Amino acid sequence: MAYRVLIVDDSPAMRSFVRRVIELSGFELAACFEASNGQEALQLLASEWVDAILTDINMPAMDGERFMEALQGNELLRTIPAIVISTDATSKRIGRMLALGARGYLSKPFLPESLREELERTLGVPND
Amino acid sequence: MIETSIHTALQESVQDVLEKMFFIELDPEAAGQGESEAEICAQVSFHGDPSGALTLRVTSREARSVAADFLGADADELSDRQISEVICELANMICGSVLSRVESTTTFQLAEPAIVSAASAHQLPDGALSHVVRLSGGSLTVVLETEPLSCPVQEKSAS
Repeated sequence: MAYRVLIVDDSPAMRSFVRRVIELSGFELAACFEASNGQEALQLLASEWVDAILTDINMPAMDGERFMEALQGNELLRTIPAIVISTDATSKRIGRMLALGARGYLSKPFLPESLREELERTLGVPND
Repeated sequence: MIETSIHTALQESVQDVLEKMFFIELDPEAAGQGESEAEICAQVSFHGDPSGALTLRVTSREARSVAADFLGADADELSDRQISEVICELANMICGSVLSRVESTTTFQLAEPAIVSAASAHQLPDGALSHVVRLSGGSLTVVLETEPLSCPVQEKSAS
């Protein structure tokens, strides 16, 4: 099965990196969408269904915390597993994002295989 | 003691970020050979405990090489804008990594990284800590300036 993934990050370089790492990792990717903040992501999600969301925290317009709150406030969107990717690896921040509904948290820097593992874990992809 | 710990966190963070996200293996023997001319500079300010700023200076040739590694692109095909975006992201990741190694009772707020002039980036404030690494295409210098800490620093491994 191939999956549809949304990458939410205000850094175009980071979005490109994450997309490339997913593709190179062998993860079954059917489609990959990008948004530069939570607001753009919500607009995209109004017309496109995704299986997983990878989101940054520090973003203009709508940051990761407000984006998570918006997802949780929507009966349909709250079912999409969201993984936070952030430079902030403090336990307080991780705890806060998980409390807001994030299903996973990946702190930068991360190994490419960690991203695939986290995606597969949250999507319930069976191990080979 | 605290200064030593922050410097260790700085060294570990630079190594960790370059190895994991840029696929660059550092040669420990080549590290810390002094500062060299820098062409592209990015800065991230942060607010928390402590507050401060991290400045990254990278020689132009190395900046292009690092950006190519990160984006998986041909170095000669990269635009100045793409290189700047990667250098800003590199500064952001190193800053976040250093701060996450600091035991703190508060979370940090990082400002958006920005390209700054080389002249301002070379002004080293009193008490600033710097770390230099030599890479194949030049050097990379990270300068961390912080307000006094009100909490101890926890040292962690670079794994």
